[in-house]
Amino acid sequence: MDPIDVLKNVELFDGITPEELRTIAGICESRTYQAGELITKQGMPGEELFIVHAGYVEIIRTPLTSDSKPRTIVNLGEGQIFGEMALVDMGPRSASVRALTDHTRLLVIQRDAFRELCDENHHLGYIIMQNIAADLSFKLRHRHLVAR
Amino acid sequence: MTEIYKISYVVLGKEHPGAIKNSDHRPDIGERVKLGKDEFVVAEIFDLIPARGMFHYLHATLQTAEN
Repeated sequence: MDPIDVLKNVELFDGITPEELRTIAGICESRTYQAGELITKQGMPGEELFIVHAGYVEIIRTPLTSDSKPRTIVNLGEGQIFGEMALVDMGPRSASVRALTDHTRLLVIQRDAFRELCDENHHLGYIIMQNIAADLSFKLRHRHLVAR
Repeated sequence: MTEIYKISYVVLGKEHPGAIKNSDHRPDIGERVKLGKDEFVVAEIFDLIPARGMFHYLHATLQTAEN
């Protein structure tokens, strides 16, 4: 499938022009993972943003106390993004991520290429940063509902 | 314009972290939903925040599916 057909259904890119979408598609790389494969590791440097094209991933947090066990905090499916925190704040990965299903397909964007695009095109940069904030807000609302 | 439903799923009565995924339709109560390898039934669904453009933001609570 053409990456543009995937990207146009992802909230992160809602509001950008078809031409801008084509530019984004040009810096996307497609990867496939099998169930159980590690995609990112908590605490490691993060230089990529991920978009779930098909399948599921699980987001796993290990609390920073020595006796705590890793815990899955949410599963993400089609159309969802992860890795956006490291993209914005340049910090280490806040969680580990594993593929939950076989043939989990992801689109991957390198941070430097992504930030370069946002710097060159402020309309694109504004829309995407607004959409990243909205996505983080949605994830926070989800966590509140899990805890209710 | 294709409508897209971004859904926050929470599972009741089972140790499960919940999930977030897009759907091409608004699930109905009683509809079966597959999250990874597990299948559940929609028990409750509501708009979490107002829609923006073609995106709708929903929350659904799920119960374990009985065959």
